[in-house]
Amino acid sequence: MLDFLKKVFSNEKTSRTQANERLRVVLTHDRLGASSELMEVLKIEIMEVIARHVEIDGNPEVNLVSEGRHSALDINIPLKGR
Amino acid sequence: MGSKAVENQVIVVTSGKGGVGKTTTVANVATALARNGYKVVVTDLDIGLKKLDLIMGLENRVIYDIVQVIEGECTLKQALVKDKRFPDLYMLPAAQTRNKDDIRPDQVKSLCDELRPEFDYIIIDCPAGIEQGFRNAIAAADQAIVVTNPEVSAVRDADRIIGMLESAQFKDIRLVVNRLRPDMVRSGDMLSIEDLLEHLCIDLLGVVPEDKLVVPSTNKGEPIVLNEKSSAAVAFSNIARRLIGEEVDFPNFTENESVWTKLKSLGRNLLSGKGA
Repeated sequence: MLDFLKKVFSNEKTSRTQANERLRVVLTHDRLGASSELMEVLKIEIMEVIARHVEIDGNPEVNLVSEGRHSALDINIPLKGR
Repeated sequence: MGSKAVENQVIVVTSGKGGVGKTTTVANVATALARNGYKVVVTDLDIGLKKLDLIMGLENRVIYDIVQVIEGECTLKQALVKDKRFPDLYMLPAAQTRNKDDIRPDQVKSLCDELRPEFDYIIIDCPAGIEQGFRNAIAAADQAIVVTNPEVSAVRDADRIIGMLESAQFKDIRLVVNRLRPDMVRSGDMLSIEDLLEHLCIDLLGVVPEDKLVVPSTNKGEPIVLNEKSSAAVAFSNIARRLIGEEVDFPNFTENESVWTKLKSLGRNLLSGKGA
């Protein structure tokens, strides 16, 4: 019984879930011809450009989002109010 | 002469990754189409690594090959091998001792142009990979079938191939999922059809379940589609029916069909007066 409850409440992922998560990352990068390193570089450089002109506040996010076979950069950078 | 007005009659079967079941798909879909009364030719473009003759059980009938046709050593008619079972099914063999670079896309194109008026369907068995052999195989095709397995490496390669087909202006690209194990999908240990469609974003043409009868049929050189006891056979003949434009429902491979759901559908059918 304890084992059963453990299984139900633990966050252990099935291998199918892991396959889906890994594929999502790999296919997005394959389609762009970009690596996760490039995404990091992109993120840093975008923030540098923004920071040159305005003050950034909080936690900026730069993410790659994809729908179907198409991808987009989702950039969310909170700015400090004056 | 090909007798039926068929749209997109040249079909390339491709996958990127090797060993997913391209040749098996070609042999079985072609056999099913021929059984439905279509005149079909299968073309093996895996030059240097030919398999189609063996899978179709025609290895003893091969005299000439596609490279000899292209180089003018024999006519196209002389090289075509007639199937054992269906009079309207033919195979154009690959050359075993030559390379993929020995033929060019434009040569495959003019060869297919010569075949078009004679056949309803021309099915091309594409080699694995994304190099010259792939470019040769897609050059003349009107539509593409991408074969994959529910497995990460095969899906990744399929995605790459779909991208390349789209860049080559293919409008009609459909997916065949081969070797699905519904029990493993249910237990969370295999990608499901829905997962694959979400990743690859193309239309589904067929789902072939893993079937122990495939290996013995390959051993004998008899396409599995001729074995009435096989679940893979049903799947391949459904693929052929969808290709000719029939609407064929996809069976639900992964939902648990418990005694309870069977009873429910029995009850529904009885109530609606259709019988069981």
